[in-house]
Formats: sequence, structure tokens, C-alpha cells
Amino acid sequence: MGGLRGGPMDAPVDPPAGGPIQLDALGSRGAFRARNRLTVADVTGQPVAELSQVPRLFVQRGLSALRAAGPAGSGALAEVIARAGHAFANGTVGGLSAPEYQRLVSRVSGVPVAVVRSATARIERAAAEVDRTVRCARPTATVDHWRDPRTRGGGAVWARRGDVFAVHAAGNHPGVHGLWLEALVLGYRVAVRPSGREPFTPHRLVTALREAGIGDDRLLLLPTDHHVADDIVRGADLSLVYGGDAVVEKYRAHPNVLTQGPGRSKILLADVDTGVGAGLSSALDTMVASIRDEGGVACVNATAVFVAGDPAPVAEAIAERLAGLPSLPPEDDKAVLPVQPTADARRLEKYLLGQADGATLWLGGDGIVDELGDGSAVLRPAVIQLDRPDAPQLGTELPFPCVWVAPWSPKDGVGPLRNTLVLTVIGRDERLVERLVDEPSISNVHVGHHPTHWMAPGVPHDGYLAEFLMRSKAVIR
Amino acid sequence: MAVASDPVLTFPPDQVPDPEEFIQAAMRWHFGPETGSPYWLRRARTLDFDPRRDVRTFDDLRLFPNIVNELRDVPARDLIPQGYGPSTEVIGVYESGGTTGAPKRVAYLADWMDRYVTWSTGRMDERGHPRDAHWLAMIPSGPHLWGEVVARQARRRGGFTSTIDLDPRWVKKCIAEGRGDEAGRYVEHLLAQGEFLLETQDIGVLVITPPLLERLAQHEHLVKLVNEKIQVIIWSGAHMDADSRHLFRTEVFPDVQLFGNYGSTMILCGAVERAGSEDECVFDPFAPHISFSVVDPETGQPVPYGARGQVVMNHVSRSALLPNNLERDVATRIRPEAGQLGDSVADVSPVRTFDDEVVIEGVY
Repeated sequence: MGGLRGGPMDAPVDPPAGGPIQLDALGSRGAFRARNRLTVADVTGQPVAELSQVPRLFVQRGLSALRAAGPAGSGALAEVIARAGHAFANGTVGGLSAPEYQRLVSRVSGVPVAVVRSATARIERAAAEVDRTVRCARPTATVDHWRDPRTRGGGAVWARRGDVFAVHAAGNHPGVHGLWLEALVLGYRVAVRPSGREPFTPHRLVTALREAGIGDDRLLLLPTDHHVADDIVRGADLSLVYGGDAVVEKYRAHPNVLTQGPGRSKILLADVDTGVGAGLSSALDTMVASIRDEGGVACVNATAVFVAGDPAPVAEAIAERLAGLPSLPPEDDKAVLPVQPTADARRLEKYLLGQADGATLWLGGDGIVDELGDGSAVLRPAVIQLDRPDAPQLGTELPFPCVWVAPWSPKDGVGPLRNTLVLTVIGRDERLVERLVDEPSISNVHVGHHPTHWMAPGVPHDGYLAEFLMRSKAVIR
Repeated sequence: MAVASDPVLTFPPDQVPDPEEFIQAAMRWHFGPETGSPYWLRRARTLDFDPRRDVRTFDDLRLFPNIVNELRDVPARDLIPQGYGPSTEVIGVYESGGTTGAPKRVAYLADWMDRYVTWSTGRMDERGHPRDAHWLAMIPSGPHLWGEVVARQARRRGGFTSTIDLDPRWVKKCIAEGRGDEAGRYVEHLLAQGEFLLETQDIGVLVITPPLLERLAQHEHLVKLVNEKIQVIIWSGAHMDADSRHLFRTEVFPDVQLFGNYGSTMILCGAVERAGSEDECVFDPFAPHISFSVVDPETGQPVPYGARGQVVMNHVSRSALLPNNLERDVATRIRPEAGQLGDSVADVSPVRTFDDEVVIEGVY
């Protein structure tokens, strides 16, 4: 492997004194420690925590309680959420300090700790600005309350589509938990089903919100196995479900389920000189950041680069920049690459090499697994050049910096760029930008040197969540 | 002509026979040319041991192959020991649920029913269950055994029974075919019928499966009726996990006694929940007719007490011999009560499937 290594490995996490950390379910009657618990292990396989797994009966009783609880008064809600966000990011919550929490997330998910820290800050900011964010989504003709003078003689009120909102959370990146705060501020009662891979973030955020004053009957943490997980979606009015293609397909016909699937974020170099000039150099910064920031584990990380011209020098330049990233345990401050248990890493490597068979591997051809010697392994970047813009591998999204580089020309049109969460287009052709912004299967377009993972409160990530949660209702009085 | 069996096979309920005497008498009965069933006499010719000579103790039952899969095809009549003579009273032919393929069937004889009902209602007396109460049974009837047993238990206790029939095979079929909503509608249909009875009749005992009870618990009105009227909920037919049991006992039905039965067609009855089972639900079988072992499925050897393993069941009575059946259930091995053969079991659950297999594609 070509990666740089950190110094000798210390034992990164001591077994917690007094046994594994207990992550209880947070039900309508408070915390519940189930007899049935899932062991949450760090990337070396060492048990770190036990996550209570609640039975169907507990889920159903929780959802009934959410339904029985009225919506919280909207006045203080935003302030409560902001306070909780601050405690989440900076305080001691459920006995864990913020640095301890960040280290644990890093150790169990393998996401570099610096990425976890910035996600923590992002959740704090999302909480602070949640009210403003949902207002961004509100149709301009609507008002918040039926008593608003503008409903006299007929007007529109922005109203919830349901009462109970469920989230099947993802475990790939802690940042996903900033989103459902919007449902909470809109008066939804919320049930979060944490991922068994990384339950610390939702547990901490729900705990912080409860400590800040959200009632136990308005916000639940319902860890369950996959048999019971469907019950949460069935029992809620609206749901947000994270998952792969199979999950997206499963819920395609369900109007009350919003899926967040693979991002397949892309970069299009529309008319950049792919020689070694200054044009490519600044585009390279954008591309490399899009591929490797966030550890390459987020749905907004670029997984494909399309080049109008010869893709080879672009792939080569990206590979050169990514080759030097260090292999470090995830909790190391300087870590930038994700880590997984070695066996899982080997499976990913085998899959990647199978997919890349026949293509040109500029990076990763000798494998992407760099073992740290403690049962875990760094997933090193891969850069693969393909020869057609419609090569099937361009849809392959893997949880580490892995990019497929392909040729594209204006005559290929928008087709290869479809089904994309974020598309960064670098080029001067405004008519092309126009077509990309118009294309329904491209969720977000970044024009110019803005990496695919750029995000800000108030700017939609995959549409505004509130577009799904709310509707306009006529009121005349 | 009927042949008298060794009296040890029909021991009085208050006397526990010597286990070895009991096993040996059963072997003489089931493998005697005059008394054994056509099935077992035929099957014995293919065994590489002689049950009458070689099966002396409870442990020797392990010599038998697991024959229950043959019960999918064997004519039920061939299962009746000839020693009963021509006037055998057969209550019915009952079937397994068919979860693991075509149903298996057994012939159910009246004298065994009488013994089982006597034993099981004795356990109810020990636990202070009401007499002369009206029972509501929301459980399967034929081809399943449970409905018939419950009707007789209620009658023996001076009560009478209302039944809402439940077809578990239809529910399983719906779920297997991805029509969970249809199964859900069917369950709501059953509950709506039960509701009429709970509202209008003075019901004291509810017999129900855990999934149906769970569904019932979603209806506040039904929960209230059950808490007001029912003294005992008898559950069986499916497993109840320890967390749900805890929630039922402490939160949902705090004033009702929960009484679990671990039944199987292949033992022709159910084992009953040990009184005072708090944290774990322990089931004691009707010894020595029914005996359990909890084994490592890889080696067939017993696991230590307190460890989980797969359940092996034996039924040994005058009416039937169903030895050494490895069930698909997993349970904790528990020390038996004095005088019992084999193990007791706790926290029974289906063989566990593993979650969270590694999914390659995608980042979630």
C-alpha cells in the first residue's frame, strides 16, 4: 500500500470502566433498558456499547403516546431546540462530554474524528437556525396561523400533513441528524430509529432535546431490529428513511415515505483545459475536496467525474493528490480516511476490484485496504478511469473516497448526469447549466468551484424537508 | 382385545414414577408385538438398536432418530398402539402449523387428553386461577390441537368457552407472500369479534397468542376491558420475548395474571410457566411424559445451565411415542424441578436470524 502511516499504534479506546456504555431506548415513559441488546463494537471489533432493542409492543405504545400528545406550542420550541443543539455540541449529555462522544462516534463508525467534530458543529448550527430554515420552505402566499389577518376574506395557512413523523436514520455520517429537527419545530411528534452502526448521535441529540424541555411524549428514540423497524414507518403519518437502492425502491410508491438514498454526486468539467494549466489546478482543488472531505462517506461526496476531453490527465492528477493521504486510526486528529473492520474492508475491496475489472485504476489497483494491525483497516482512495460516459460503474457509490472518471462531450447530453444529488459543473456554458438546473433527477447544481459537499442552513439538501411535511390549506373567515 | 399396560405408564397425578421404570415400560408397550403401533413396529425393524433392550434411561432416548418428518405421510391410524384394542377413543387427528413444510399429524387419544387436562388444570389451581369462569379463546381450532384442549380445560374447571377461531396458516401465507396488510386486516377482524364478547359477557380468562395480544394492546378500549374483566391471560402458540412480557406485566395489563404455555403438537400438549418466573419465563414440562433437553445444535450435547441452545423434545406416554425431536426453537437451559426428567426451558424464541449483513452498494 502506498499510504503514509502514522506512528506506532496505541490502544485507542480503553474498555469503559463498569462495562459497555448503555444506550437505552427513550420511550414515552422515559428511558427503557431492554433485555434484548445489540452490541455496538468499534472498528477493531471491541464492544463499546450496548443498544437496547425494543420489541414491537414498545414501538406501538410509543407511537400511540406520540399521537395522543398534542403539538408543542410553537413559541418556545425553536429556542428549546437551539439550546439542545448547543448542549449537544458542547455540553455533557447523558454522562458523555462532547469530545468523548466524538471519539466514540469516530471509533464505532470509522469516520475521521475531525469530520465528526464538524458534523457536531453543523448540527448545532442547524438547531440554532431551524426556524429560519423551515421558513425558507414556506410558500410565500401562506401564513403560519389561521388567526393571521390575511386569512380574512380567504388565504392560505401552512399546515402539517400529519402528526407523527418517523426517521429511519443512517449510520454513515452523524450529520444526517440535523435534518429531522425541522419536523420537530413544525410541531411534529418524532420517533427516531437509530442505526445500529452509530447510535450515539441520535441518542445524544434526543437526550439533549429532552433535557432542554421537549416532552418525553413528543420525541422518542426507538432502537429496534429490522423486523420491527417497518412498524415504525407503518405507524407514523410521514417518514424519512435512509437506505440503499433497495430501500428507495421499496418505498417508491409510498407517498408518505421520503427516502434519502445513495447520492451519486458528480462533477462535470464541461470545458476545462485538461492540460496542466491553472484551469485544471483550481478545478482539481474542488474535485479533490468533493471526493475526500467528510472522509468520502457522505452522500454529497463526489463519486463520478465527467470530463469534456481526455479524462486520463484528470484521473492522474486526482490520483496523485489522493495518494498521499495518511492512514491513521479514525480518532487521530489528522485522520482523513475512513476505517472499517478489516473483514468488511476486504469485502469492499473485492467488490471494488470486481467492478473495476477492465478499467484503468490510477489509484487502488493494488487494493484499498491498509491494515492498522488492530483488526481495523483504513479504506484508501481509489481513482478509476472508464472509457464511456454511460459505463454502468458510474452508479457505484462506496463508503470511502472512490471516484470513477469518464469522458463526456456535449453530444452525450444530460443523460449520464441524471440521478444525482449534487452536481458541480465547472464551465462557462450557461445553456448547459440551464439544462442541468431544469433536469428533475438532479437535486442540486453547484456552478463553478463549489465542492459537492457544500451545505448551509436554509439551502435545501434534497429539497426542503418541509416541502414534504407541510401543505397549504385554504382558510376563509 | 385391549391389553393392560404397565401401571407405571398411567401413574396417578400425585405420584412421580421412577424414570427408568417408566421409560422401560414405555419401550415394552410401544415395541411389544401385541401392543405397539403399526408405525413403530414397522419402524423398529430399521433401527440399529433394540428399544426394549437398549433404551433403559432418559438419556437413551437419544438413540432414536428424529422421526417427526415421517408424520407428514404416515396414516394417523397406524400411530395408535394396538394395545388399546378396537374400541380406542380417538378424539381427533391434529396437525402442526406447517411452518416447516407440509403439516405433520398425530392421533390424539382420549386417555392422554384426560391426563394432560388433569395435570394442566392442577397447575392452574396452584396458581389460584378462577374456577367457574367464562373463557374467551382467540386461538386456532382444528386441524390444530389447542382449541380442543382449551375447551376441555375450561369445562374441567367448571367454566364455559366462547371461541373466535384463528387460522394461523392463512396469516403465515399472507405474510410470506408480502401481504402483511391483509394479515393485519384479518387480525383486526378477529379483535372486532372478540370485542363484542368482552363487552357483553362476564369473561374471566382470555386465551390468546402473543401477536394477537400485542395487536389488542394497540386498542385502548380493549386494553381497558381486559384490565377490568380478565383475571388470567393464557398465552401460547408463539414466543413472547422477555421485553414484551415485562411490558405486558408491568404497563399494559398490570392487574392481570399472565400465564404462558409452551406448546407443541409434537408433544401433544404444552409445558406451563413456572409460578414466580419473574425475569425469565421458565416452562416446566409434564414429567415424565414430556421431557426437554437444551443442546448445542452442532454437537447435540447439552449446553450448560443458563446457556442458550436448541430444544429437543420427547413425548412418552401410553398413547404415543415421539422421542428425540429437535425443534426449531432456541431456549435457555434451566435446572428442572425435583423429580422432573431432563431440563426446563426459558425465554423460548425461534432460531435467530442475523441482522445487518454487510451490504456493499451505497454508503448507508
